[in-house]
Parts: sequence; C-alpha cells; structure tokens
Amino acid sequence: MITIVNYGMGNLGSVLNMFKRIGVEAIISNSIRDIEKAEKLLLPGVGAFDAAMELINKSGLLPVLNHKATEEKIPVLGICLGMQLLTNGSTEGVLNGLQWIDADTKKFEFANNDMKVPHMGWNFIQPQNTSPLLEELNNESKFYFVHSYYVQCKNENDVLATTLYGDRFHAIINHQNIFGAQFHPEKSHKYGMQLLTNFSKI
Amino acid sequence: MLQTRIIPCLQLIDESLVKAIQFNKYSYIGDPCNTVRIFNELEVDELCFLDIRASRENRAPNFKILQEISDECFMPLSYGGGITTFEQAKKVFGIGFEKVILNTQAFRNPNLVTQISTHFGVQAVVVSIDFKKQGSHYSAYINDGKEKINENVLTYIKRIESAGAGEILLTSMDREGTWSGFDIDFVKHITSNTKLPVIAHGGAGSIEDIGSVVNYGGASAVALGSMLVFQKKGMGVLVNFPDKEKLAKALR
Amino acid sequence: MAIESKYKICTRCIYDERVSSISFDENGVCNYCHQVDMLVKEYGTGQQKGMDTLNGIVTEIKKAGKHKKYDCVVGVSGGTDSSYMVYWALKNGLRPLAVHYDNTWNTAIATENIRKVLQHWNVDLYTHVIDNKESDDIFKSFFEAGVAEIEAATDLALAETMYRAAAEYKVKYVLEGHSFVTEGISPLGKNYFDGKYIQAIHKKYGKKKMNSYPLMSFYQFMKWTVFYKIRKIRPYWYMQYSKEDAMAFLKKECGWAYYGGHHLENRMTAFFHGIYAPQKFNSDYRNNTLSALVRNGKMSREDAWIEYNTPPKIEPELLGYFKKRLGLSDTQYDDKMREKPNFWWQFPTYKKRFELLRPAFFILAKANLVPMSFYLKYCFPVKNK
Repeated sequence: MITIVNYGMGNLGSVLNMFKRIGVEAIISNSIRDIEKAEKLLLPGVGAFDAAMELINKSGLLPVLNHKATEEKIPVLGICLGMQLLTNGSTEGVLNGLQWIDADTKKFEFANNDMKVPHMGWNFIQPQNTSPLLEELNNESKFYFVHSYYVQCKNENDVLATTLYGDRFHAIINHQNIFGAQFHPEKSHKYGMQLLTNFSKI
Repeated sequence: MLQTRIIPCLQLIDESLVKAIQFNKYSYIGDPCNTVRIFNELEVDELCFLDIRASRENRAPNFKILQEISDECFMPLSYGGGITTFEQAKKVFGIGFEKVILNTQAFRNPNLVTQISTHFGVQAVVVSIDFKKQGSHYSAYINDGKEKINENVLTYIKRIESAGAGEILLTSMDREGTWSGFDIDFVKHITSNTKLPVIAHGGAGSIEDIGSVVNYGGASAVALGSMLVFQKKGMGVLVNFPDKEKLAKALR
Repeated sequence: MAIESKYKICTRCIYDERVSSISFDENGVCNYCHQVDMLVKEYGTGQQKGMDTLNGIVTEIKKAGKHKKYDCVVGVSGGTDSSYMVYWALKNGLRPLAVHYDNTWNTAIATENIRKVLQHWNVDLYTHVIDNKESDDIFKSFFEAGVAEIEAATDLALAETMYRAAAEYKVKYVLEGHSFVTEGISPLGKNYFDGKYIQAIHKKYGKKKMNSYPLMSFYQFMKWTVFYKIRKIRPYWYMQYSKEDAMAFLKKECGWAYYGGHHLENRMTAFFHGIYAPQKFNSDYRNNTLSALVRNGKMSREDAWIEYNTPPKIEPELLGYFKKRLGLSDTQYDDKMREKPNFWWQFPTYKKRFELLRPAFFILAKANLVPMSFYLKYCFPVKNK
C-alpha cells in the first residue's frame, strides 16, 4: 500500500489513477496517522520549491515524514518537484529541502538561445546503476519532463539514471530507501507504469 | 535528446469530438473518451483538446467531460475553450490537465495569463493565435475566428510573452482541414522572432509536412488534426497516428 | 470420443441441447451440422462448382462497375474475415471501397488493423460515425429493456451503412466476409433483430432522439434490395477459406494483429460476449466458432468443449468503462443484471411480415439481393422459444 502525501501540491489524482490502472493499492492522505502507518511514501510536487517546503512545514507532517524516511527508512519516491524537495535546497528558493539525499537543486542555464527552459517534453533516460526501480527500463525508455531546475547529487553512486538536455543531468536518484524521479511517471504511460510498478515491489 | 512533440489536437463541441474545416463546417468524429483510449493504446505523447464553440456560445468548460478524459489519460493533457477566470483554470489543472490554452481571453484579458502563469508556472499557459493570410498580409483573429485584431501578430506575441505565456499554438485558419501543408514562411517568421516555443497547427497533410515545419519552420512542436481522424483527405473517419519510425526519420 | 456432460451434445460439433431449435438425428448429429452440409453442397464451397459461380460473379461485378470509381463495397471491422476480403477483392481485379460503421466503442486494435490493411493495399475508406451520446442511449435502452440483443443496433447499422455507401457511389455489389464454414450459422430463436425491434426498444427506453443512427427500416431494406438492386455477395461461401491461413497472411503482409478471439476489437462486443450474454442470459456464443473449428477438423471436440466450458477472458477495465459510458451506478447495473430477462418476441418486430413474405424473399435470396442466411433465419417461424 502506497501513501501519496498530500501536503497541498501536485498531481495527486493522476498519480492515484495510474496506481489504480496498474493494480497497486494506494491512498492520498494528509493525516499524520495515515503516514505513520504507511508502508511506502510517494511525494508529489508541481510548482515552486519554497512554496512547497512552506506547505510541508505548515502541514505538521514534517516530523512524521522525517521519522518514516530517515529512521524507519521505508521506501520513499519523490517525483518532479517532489524529487527536488528531497535535496538539501534549491537555488529557486531560500528554504532548506528535506535533506534526505545529499544533493542540490539548480537552475538550467544555457548560453545557447535554442535550448529552451523549462525542459519540457519527452526525453530518454540513460541508466547508470542497477536498481529494482529500473527493472525493465533501459536507454530506450522515455518519460515526460517539465522542469526548469535539475538535481545534482554529490555522490555518483546515488545516480541511477541521467538524461541529456544540453548536458547530462540526474534524472533518477537513490540513496538507501530514498528514490527520486525528475519526470512525471503518471504522465509517461507505459514507462511510468513500469517505474511505479517497480516501486511498488521494492 | 528532447523529442519533438507531435500532438493530436482534438476538437470538442460540448461532449462530442468533431473536426472543423477552415473554422467553418465540421464533421462528427466520435466519443472523446474512446478516442483518448485509442491514443493511449497508440502511445501518443501528448493530447490537446479544444472546445471550439465554447467562447462563441459563452460556455464555461465542460468539467465533467474533462474529468472523464483525464481519468483515461496517462500522458500530458492541455485544454482550451471558454476559460475566462482563474478559478476555471485552477479547476482544469485540478482535474489533471498540465496546461490551459487561452485564445480570446489572452487578448481581451492578458492579466489572466499573468495570474495563471504566476501561480502554476509559465509552462502551464499556452496562448493560441489563429491567423489568416490576406494577400501578403497576416492578421490574427479571436472568438473562434470571427473577430480580427488590429495588432501586428509579432507585437501581440511579444506582449503576451511578457504577460507570462509559456508557449504559442499557432493555427492557420486558411489551411485547417485542407491537408495542404503548413505556411512554413510565416511559421519561420514567428519562430525567428520569439523565444517562446511555437506549436505549428493547421494544414498538415503528410509526414513530410511535419518534417518541413520543424526543420525549416523552426516549430518546437506540431499539432495535428485531420490527419489523425480521417483515413485520407476526403475519406472516412479513422482515428490513427503516423508511423513512429517514419516520423522520427522526417524529424531528424 | 465421448465428452463428459449432463447435456446431450452433437456427435460432430459441440452444439448441445441448450442451443435453440436444435434437433439430433439417429447418429446424434445436429441439424446445424446438416445445415452447413446442405449449404456446402448448394454453393459448392471450395469445389469447382463454387469457384465457377464465384468467377461468374466477379465478372458481373466488373461489368456493373465499369466507369465507376469503385465496383464493390467491403464492410471492414478490423477483423480477419473482412480484412482478408479486401485483399481477395483486389486479387480478383476488383476496385473495392471499404466501409466501416463506428459505434464509438472501437479499440485501437480495430482502428489500427483497418488502417494497416487499407494503407498497405491503398484502399479508400468510407465511415459512418454515430453521435456518441446517441450510441450510448441506444445501448442503454437495450440494457434497460433487459433483452439480449445489445449488439443488434451495431450489426444492423453496418448493414445500412454499407448500402448507403454503395448507393452513394453507384455500386451494385456489397461483399461480406461471412463464412458459414468458419463461423457456423447462428441458431434461430433466442436472438433476433430488425429495424422495427430497434426502434421499439429505443422508443420505450431511450432518452435521446435518433438522429445520426442509420436505421434500416423495412422501407430502407426494400429500397436497397428491390429498388436499388444492390446485391450481397459472400465469397467465402463459394471458395476454400481458412481463417488461420488468412490471419497468418495478413500478419505477414501488413502487420495486422489478432485480438485474441475475445472480441477485443470493440468494447461493446467484448462486453456482450464476455459479460452480458453469459451472466444475464447464460448464453455463450463461443460455441459458434468452436463448433465450426471442430467440423473443419481444426480442433478436437474435447479441446473445443474444454475451451467452451472455461470462462471467457475479460479486459479488466471493461465493466468499469461500460458503466461509465452508460452512466450506470454500480447498484443500477447490478439490479438490472439481476432482473429477469426479457425477450424479443415481447416487442414489435417485422418477424411476422418476413414470414408472410417468405416466397418473395426466397426469390430475392436466389438473386443474391438478400443473403440466403437471412431467408433461412427470418422467414421461418421459430420453434420452441
């Protein structure tokens, strides 16, 4: 059973819909009790970094989230902005991130005018490490991205897959029980379904 | 690398799918949900829905059908037609759509563009511009092609860009439904003069047309209508999508 | 080769005593097997007699179609028989127009198969699409009526659409991919449909006016057959036709895909065969094709019986989709499914009229203006309802 954290941001309905389609039990919740009982967490997010962190801080869920993620160490998957929230912080804002992975979030800066920001559309991943999250996925798997900021892990071992946009950026990351995907699996049809299926089996 | 987006652009009149020709007569195409299912199975990258009579009939978006569509879709969705308030846009996003498309309202009320993009991000707002060629002159129209605007198209685009638009959906009213190809020169003129990504729409008749408007016209994406709902020009309704391999070759 | 069952089963195919209007001869062979034998003899299926007749018909078609854009109409659904029929028409030098009736419940397999076949052989497509809300209203009225023929509106609409397309392009021949050898003849009695029946059900239970639905009224039927003289030809009745060979050929030639015998080409068909008929009417129509396979030696009786007694595979989302399209809550659906079923003879139909006009229809059938199977099914009174 996967608990989708509702802190006030993100494409919750679509994520739940995809879990339903692949036959994985999932609920959306903003209650401390539900999160305390959670077996796995999914952290969604669409929008601005600080706005999201503020909502999380205000929601009262931070203590239980920290406990589940860093002490109990249940599997956690952050998607899109949710992945960026897992990091230390973002140049988009001033607030700290959840700091569950040693990584920083930075803005795409290109000298070339042709490289448009945000990075928006379908792009491929290049797996760099093996992981149960990457089962059946390879460099022909593509996902839907829409983001102006990207994550940079301090430790290369935490990088599961990269994507090429100008340079290679970290598209899927993992440290122990914490996973992150920069794209929107709930909008990446069969590839997204594969990723979420993999996560449900971890 | 980032793939060029090829987007089926489906026209809705309330709860039915239709296809218009040159913004005029339209043919009945089918059921929106069933068609979405078919495009899902064809693993199409993105879908765009436009309610082409909402503005004219002063109708708000049909949220019920949008919810039904969203429940079937596992790829990005955009919607346009009759959005006049921030609340309506918010509801559309809440249903699960990634982007809203504004046409008439973008011109009449650019503040709405700013409001939506500030809250949801610039990539969430697409401004749709319908244009017609008269002699060698190009004009933009609003209100389902009924009202001509006097502003120069490029000036309008620059203005709407500062207001917070993230993308332009550029539709040729003359070429829509004709399978005669895009107006590559005009598309190039626009793409060379704006930083915003431009989705070329109206006139696609073949995979070559798609390749040309991207490679020569500089379009970042291509929206397809008639090509995806009819078997051939002048023939019967058949929901389809161009061969992916042939597309990839044409877009290289 | 005995099969264990409490039902009496035909010794040659697997139709059992539950099939309506069935009877067994002294060897335990059913009347439907005999009917197929009779038709094979009459039409000379796969023999010189059949081929000669068919070649004669092809010549006629070409003659009648001279100076016209198309000389025949082929109804297509994305399925094996109709897809192969397109190829057969071209192989024989005909210029077909493919015709499709879209009830708005198609799956991608169907539309893709139609696209691939027609693109590969460069054949034009004529489609009639019914307004989706009207389509759902008609389906819902059949569901509300509690009768079995929920698919009837689609079948009749395709027939009417083919006639309309033929008339529009001044074509005199409609080719149908029906094969009594590979499909068997549907038993008489339990299921029935005609234009009056559809109209009656819709009038009583429907909410939306019938506008875009192509209704084949008796008048329309007579118009196309007697006045326009559009002939219906079923080439598979005359020639050797193997469904398996056809499938392999189509796959190889144009990447046509088989949707697995579970009617996954259209979601309404899938609902009817997989859920509605078995659950509400205790009817499983798979015995039609399975019996045909047994008769043709393509499957053993034992294997066919085993498959027949295995529940059909259903797309997991199917029921949810059905309820959503028709606007039925779970309770409404369950209640209706539990209700006692109703039958076609409780509603107005043209049946009596067809029976009265039997001699006339015999003549029309002999002239190929109506299919012989129509004559056999519609013009005789039904025994043991």
